Amino acid sequence: MSRLSGVFCRRMAGCTALGLAILLTPATLAEDAGNLYNTAVDVRMGERYFERQCSRCHGFDATGNDETGAPDLTGRLTRGSTDVAIFNIIRDGIPGTAMLPVAADVPDPQVWQVVAYLDSLRYDPGSVVLAGNAEAGGELFWNGSDCADCHMVNGRGSRSGPDLSRVGENRTPDDLLADMVNPQENVAPRWWRLRVTGPDGVSREGYRMNEDSFSLRIMDDGENLWSIPKDGLQSYERIEDSTMPSYAQTLSESELDDLVAYLFSLRREEI
Amino acid sequence: MKNMLRSLLPALLLPALAAAQEQQLQTVITPAFSPVTWERLVDAKNEPENWLMYSGTLDSQRHSLLDQINTENVSELEMKWAYQIPVIDRAETVPLVVDGIMFITEAPSNVTAVDARTGRVYWRYDHELPEDLRICCGRNNRGVAILGETLFMSTLDAHLVAIDARTGNLLWNTEVAPHASGYSKTAAPLIVKDLVVTGIAGGEFGIRGFIDAYDPETGELVWRTHTIPGPGEFGNDTWSGDSWATGGSATWITGSYDAELNQIYWGTGNPGPDWNGDVRLGDNLYSDSVLSLNGDTGEIEWYFQFTPHDVHDYDAIQIPILADIEFGGEMRNTMLWANRNGFFYTLDRATGEFLLGDTYASVTWASGLDPSGRPIRVPGMAPTYEGIMVSPPIVGATNWYSPAFNPDTGLFYVTSFDGEQEFFKRDEDYEEGERYTGGGGRYTQPMDAFHSSIRAIDPATVEIVWEFPIMPRSSAGITTTAGGLLFSGSADGYFFALDAATGEELWNVSLSRRVHAAPMTWSVDGEQFVTIASGNVVFTFGLRN
Repeated sequence: MSRLSGVFCRRMAGCTALGLAILLTPATLAEDAGNLYNTAVDVRMGERYFERQCSRCHGFDATGNDETGAPDLTGRLTRGSTDVAIFNIIRDGIPGTAMLPVAADVPDPQVWQVVAYLDSLRYDPGSVVLAGNAEAGGELFWNGSDCADCHMVNGRGSRSGPDLSRVGENRTPDDLLADMVNPQENVAPRWWRLRVTGPDGVSREGYRMNEDSFSLRIMDDGENLWSIPKDGLQSYERIEDSTMPSYAQTLSESELDDLVAYLFSLRREEI
Repeated sequence: MKNMLRSLLPALLLPALAAAQEQQLQTVITPAFSPVTWERLVDAKNEPENWLMYSGTLDSQRHSLLDQINTENVSELEMKWAYQIPVIDRAETVPLVVDGIMFITEAPSNVTAVDARTGRVYWRYDHELPEDLRICCGRNNRGVAILGETLFMSTLDAHLVAIDARTGNLLWNTEVAPHASGYSKTAAPLIVKDLVVTGIAGGEFGIRGFIDAYDPETGELVWRTHTIPGPGEFGNDTWSGDSWATGGSATWITGSYDAELNQIYWGTGNPGPDWNGDVRLGDNLYSDSVLSLNGDTGEIEWYFQFTPHDVHDYDAIQIPILADIEFGGEMRNTMLWANRNGFFYTLDRATGEFLLGDTYASVTWASGLDPSGRPIRVPGMAPTYEGIMVSPPIVGATNWYSPAFNPDTGLFYVTSFDGEQEFFKRDEDYEEGERYTGGGGRYTQPMDAFHSSIRAIDPATVEIVWEFPIMPRSSAGITTTAGGLLFSGSADGYFFALDAATGEELWNVSLSRRVHAAPMTWSVDGEQFVTIASGNVVFTFGLRN
């Protein structure tokens, strides 16, 4: 404790009285004791450490980086869901990946503060009070609306929109409502449309499954998959709009609330 | 009859088998490896069968005189061999080829010698690393230098090592700077006469940058030139307070050398902390600059600062390309530089005089360059606590990846990026060995909303003669050849060839993983090959037999 707290206090020089009080907490960290460093001050210190040490790969807002392959840390974490598991990943790194361990002289409490910060980016879905009714939303999704004409949930439905089987894990209720009333905001590149005319003069249009410098791959409205070289294309058009209509006018407020409740319930584990 | 044939068969096949065995034996005979003298390095352009240094030649043009693979037959390229780097990480290596032997550096700080014709291993050097490395951006190594029969390599723990090129044995191991304080090394050194010249990384850890020269025999330091002037030296007053001591200005890519002028040219990185300039008021010399150093003493002969008081991490960590071009009606000794800050510069390399400059990618932080080449800043573009959108983004309009110059076309080629990013400022205190960046950035759009281009620039006018779009953002280097070709790669794993004169696509192959290195070309027994690292694998291509 003495060596650790010495290093820690030196690093934290200037921190508040509250913070110092926390530092004096014995650092005997049983593996299953959970996070003892999760006050508002800890979260703020964890955020500062994250911005300084982790944001280069994981992004300044912890939403990840396609280029470095560093994952989004604001939703469900795939490599560890408990505080202890997250602590161990930060402490030890992930062998064979760019996720290096934190420096050996970074004291455990500081790592726990990062865990607290990452926890603060998520929330306990069980604590969320929803206006709608998930069961009614499910009924509406499957039988009272055209949702399933495009979307799939657990293998049932269609292929013309994102698979929603786990949509509740990474979208908040507010996000889900926004998705339905304003689908043109932040359309993922996977759901852009490409309209191309090949050297044979045949035009094809479909969802942009993948595109690179020399070729593209689409799924057309007949759900046929096409891989087309760009060389020799007579025309190329990229439509970055969503094909999903807004449901702000076509569904009532309570129906939207019910759908939000249903979509929020779609996750690996029941709330 | 059948039986007779059977009994005859071995006898009939024997001569063919013997010939095949002989051929097989020939491919495993050790090539005639001869020492690489300084004279060979100066004249490297005229032994294009070998790739003797990181940028091919001392002028760093990355242009090979080999023309067996050319615009007519490049579509007949096929893979000859692949070498899997055993440690998983992204490969930034540019191998060397010396008389049929290829030297490949690997993550984290290893080097392997292989038969260049087959990719089979002669030896491997594993560098032992401590556990408390301080590295900003991955476990990278970009290549070795060679002089005589010795290889010189930077290591992540900020050491410089000398390795016997015939056996892989360690000859000496010199600590360049203490790694625990934030120093590291990733770039290939540059041989200048009888010196090993090398830079340092750590610009995100509050280091004080420098360029060093070491004795190749002993590993002893011969000279050190700091890239931030100390107290009493010219330029120290361009740093407020004591900020010079932790001001970064790292030197993490290889420089160039002009043997006639006896000048070494080396780029310097961002001032630190990167995104908070409040604690280091002033121009912050010699960050984001090119330095000309005397080839014997390391003394600064001239400097040119591209981005005074940088607050966007616009390192001048690019390879200085030295080319003699017609400018204003006369031939000039120039240096060509597409900078991370979005501007292209043509400088007189004898004096550092600014001849010409203009944007070559999207730029919002400056409205242009004044007659001395100093950027004219757009007010209100410095990072804020809330975030402000600026172009180029942190990764830059280009970055460390090698550009090329082709004397046949007179064009300069660069991988460029048109993007934008939100920049943030944060208050941080310096702590030795800790990151010291003062902020960061984030994209507000998916990467697929942006694209890179290979741009061919006329260095006498900064006109973009052609461009070839690549998506998404590319971080691959470029090599051109006397066969009229330009080779490069892409982030989504293509390796491709363009017509260097027109930008027309001539050939591509999908290698699947990110190309984060530069291609190089060489030949053995009169047969030309081209080599590129993609993901974790080094691929070599040659013409179909």
